[in-house]
Amino acid sequence: MNQEKIRNFAIIAHIDHGKSTLADRILELSGNVSKREMTDQILDNMELEKERGITIKMNAVRLNYKGYEFNLIDTPGHVDFSYEVSRSLAACEGTILLVDATQGIEAQTLANYYLALENDLEIIPVINKIDLPNADPEKVTLELINTFGFKKDEIILTSGKTGEGVDKLLDAVIEKIPAPKGNKDGKLKALIFDSVFDSYKGVIIHIRIVDGKLSNKDKIRFMSNNSSYDITELGYTTPKIVNVNELNAGDVGYLCASIKTISDIKIGDTITLDNNPCDEPLKGYSEVKPMVYSGIFPVETREYDLLKDALEKLAINDASLTFTPETSKALGFGFRCGFLGLLHMDIIKERLQREFNLNIILTAPSVIYNVYLTNGDMVSISNPSDMPPMERLSYIEEPYIKTNIFTPTDYIGPIMELCENKRGTFINMEYINETRVNIHYELPLSEIMYDFFDKLKSATKGYASFDYELIGYRVNKLVKMDILLNGEKVDALSMIVHKDFAYNIGKNMVNKLREIIPRQMFEVPIQAFINNKAIARETIKPLRKNVLAKCYGGDITRKRKLLEKQKEGKKKMKMIGSVEVPPEAFLEILDLRK
Amino acid sequence: MIKSCYIHIPFCKKICSYCDFCKIFYNEIYINKYLDALENEINKYYNNDLLETIYIGGGTPSSLSLEELNRLFNIIDKLNKSKDLEFTIECNIEDITEDKLKLFKDRGINRLSIGVESFNENNLKFMNRPSIDLDKLKYAKKYFDNINIDLIYALPNETLEILNEDLNKVLDLDVKHISIYSLIIEPNTKIMDLEPIDDELDYEMYKLICDRLSNYNHYEISNFAIPGYESKHNLTYWNNEEYYGFGMGASGYVNDVRYTNTKSINNYIKNEFNRVEEHLTTLDKEKYELIMGFRKLSGINIDKYKEKYNRDLLDNETIKRLLNENKLQIKDNNIFINKEYIYLQNEILLQLI
Repeated sequence: MNQEKIRNFAIIAHIDHGKSTLADRILELSGNVSKREMTDQILDNMELEKERGITIKMNAVRLNYKGYEFNLIDTPGHVDFSYEVSRSLAACEGTILLVDATQGIEAQTLANYYLALENDLEIIPVINKIDLPNADPEKVTLELINTFGFKKDEIILTSGKTGEGVDKLLDAVIEKIPAPKGNKDGKLKALIFDSVFDSYKGVIIHIRIVDGKLSNKDKIRFMSNNSSYDITELGYTTPKIVNVNELNAGDVGYLCASIKTISDIKIGDTITLDNNPCDEPLKGYSEVKPMVYSGIFPVETREYDLLKDALEKLAINDASLTFTPETSKALGFGFRCGFLGLLHMDIIKERLQREFNLNIILTAPSVIYNVYLTNGDMVSISNPSDMPPMERLSYIEEPYIKTNIFTPTDYIGPIMELCENKRGTFINMEYINETRVNIHYELPLSEIMYDFFDKLKSATKGYASFDYELIGYRVNKLVKMDILLNGEKVDALSMIVHKDFAYNIGKNMVNKLREIIPRQMFEVPIQAFINNKAIARETIKPLRKNVLAKCYGGDITRKRKLLEKQKEGKKKMKMIGSVEVPPEAFLEILDLRK
Repeated sequence: MIKSCYIHIPFCKKICSYCDFCKIFYNEIYINKYLDALENEINKYYNNDLLETIYIGGGTPSSLSLEELNRLFNIIDKLNKSKDLEFTIECNIEDITEDKLKLFKDRGINRLSIGVESFNENNLKFMNRPSIDLDKLKYAKKYFDNINIDLIYALPNETLEILNEDLNKVLDLDVKHISIYSLIIEPNTKIMDLEPIDDELDYEMYKLICDRLSNYNHYEISNFAIPGYESKHNLTYWNNEEYYGFGMGASGYVNDVRYTNTKSINNYIKNEFNRVEEHLTTLDKEKYELIMGFRKLSGINIDKYKEKYNRDLLDNETIKRLLNENKLQIKDNNIFINKEYIYLQNEILLQLI
């Protein structure tokens, strides 16, 4: 296809603003998928994506519309995955910025808008869900004009549900989004923007051809490490798989080349031809770094190898998941895992439980601290139990974020209260219009680890949206808090906390543990310690009764069965010293939904 | 040789709210057919062992008419009985009449187990049981020296005061044996959705019971007897010895097999006993020995255990540790749970089995 007839674009939006539904309508309107084939939200493949209504892994789909080739690249909507948004945008010339007509501009609308600007993309502003009774397109139009400087006549109104306005939108894609301008006769330069593992084909690499052309007979070379592979398959999805012999400058598609492990592939790398390589790679992107670390341990030691297999399998499709072996005195052998954020961590946890049927314990998530020692050295610590002893510490730095909190003005008070409680520093407040603001705070990243999202949601009845960017490290009065169970330190429960907040955290922690850990045959003290000084204490009273009063006439088999059932329950417990602790103890302390 | 026999009579005139034993409403037509089947079952399985204990339980065996009871005793007459047989029948207070007591006595019953459960009106109402007629209890004592009274505590809204009043009344009656059970909330009963009372209170109640019944020999978790009147039949269970169980839903332990009969009256009267069997390995038997033996306050005799299983309990590492922790104790070559921990028997068993 002539490059003039190609349009590569993505849809970017705040979560739940109707991105996937609109994508479905576009597919339907371009005749790619018949009405009968439509299952809601075709682009969301994974079961979890459908359940949570969010897109985690993106997909690229080719459509034909009025003689044009459209490549629609889907993007995730959550803050944890903004890195993936930016890499799909790098494969496009334009983007549809979608805003919910009932909600207006939200935190990720803003974040995504800036990502699109950074990538020099043409942006088509769209107000979606205009079919809803509480839609207020005029108000949202004003927001778009005031916040981003769009003109009134370039804003398109659509309904992903009814399909209204979608044809106008597609016409705008043709008119406004520039055609690719690659050199079709030049040396091959293709950008890798995603990769997926398939157990039959090996690694499937999603690419955008920038210059030159690629044939299915070619031998390719990865510019980052000069490794080369023979192509085994070339094609694109509609969303059905279509094999082709050739992809040309401007095209979006995929290739397979018998690549066994995803770690051989670097997203953002440039592919060229082995026998006719280009001189300069494309501008890639910086490698993504995990922000949050947590220990994952099998409840039963013998499941260690299963957990290892499962993590390897997940990492195949998730380059941002990292893991290294970890040994805990309390929990035994497991892995220290790095995640992009809390949602990412939660998704991995659920996939391990659901898809691999594993009984696992997650320890409290931790950020990466820069710990400066008295001898001038600096060590990065992502596991509180690795903290050097007090006397060797000079000072500790922790990562900070800057927030975008979009909220109706009614909730400014509660939000400020929440941020102040989370050690926040107020920066300023921008008015989106007379009823909505964007509040900027600086917060330690560790403070949004636990319950920030939930507290924000309940403080604002769900009306506020939240996004953040990292702004660097700052020195703070940080200390390591240890938890002692029956006098024994439980390394997996150690945390790094701010000194001024330690007392409250310690109190809540021991209180929660007292509720979760069942009574034992003896009294169990739970203590929180800082620098060998107890700051909080609770006691689990001893168990008083576990006996069968009566023996059911002569039915003694039944008694044995009852005991065996209890025994099964005990097996699920983790012995920490002489105390039986349910695995939920570690989970509930950090449960993101509570 | 098997020396004990349990016979189940499932019929009741009223169903108690907490009961999950095998029972059905009293029905004359069923009773005769039931007794026929019972006779058949005994003929089929009984090996003419010399019996030292027979226990007729229910249901409510005393709810049968005089005629039906005579028929039952005729069947039992065919069993080979030792001359110092302990012969128990369970009896409800409303069935205590001169006729029935006389009949029991005539047919060899020498131990009466009376289901009182509580003397408190609210407790009784909760259990769907009638008020207690103390005169009838006293009347039963004229006929029988060896009487057990069953009581239940830890009922909803029960206080230590209410329990103490129950204990006053049972002590006044001056019976030879008292079985007193903490209420178990069983699935498929009318009270299945109920929350049990607080463990702490339950434990306080148990301590009160042990305290108030100190003149009795506390020989099993829930059983108290004037010395010499310990239930020989129940000791068969707790000593992990074999016994017959006849009747619908009855359990027995014969030739290394633990079995439970069908719980369906229709099957049973068709002589389809459909026994569910558990064939025991030596290891299983050892487990049962611990499960049952540690119910007794005197515990398990180390020599007898060695004789039976060719294994020294004192070699067991867990037992050594539990002895060390003073959760188990030894006296006169018997190993037993420290009385302090008897209400946590399961916790200890879970470490052992």
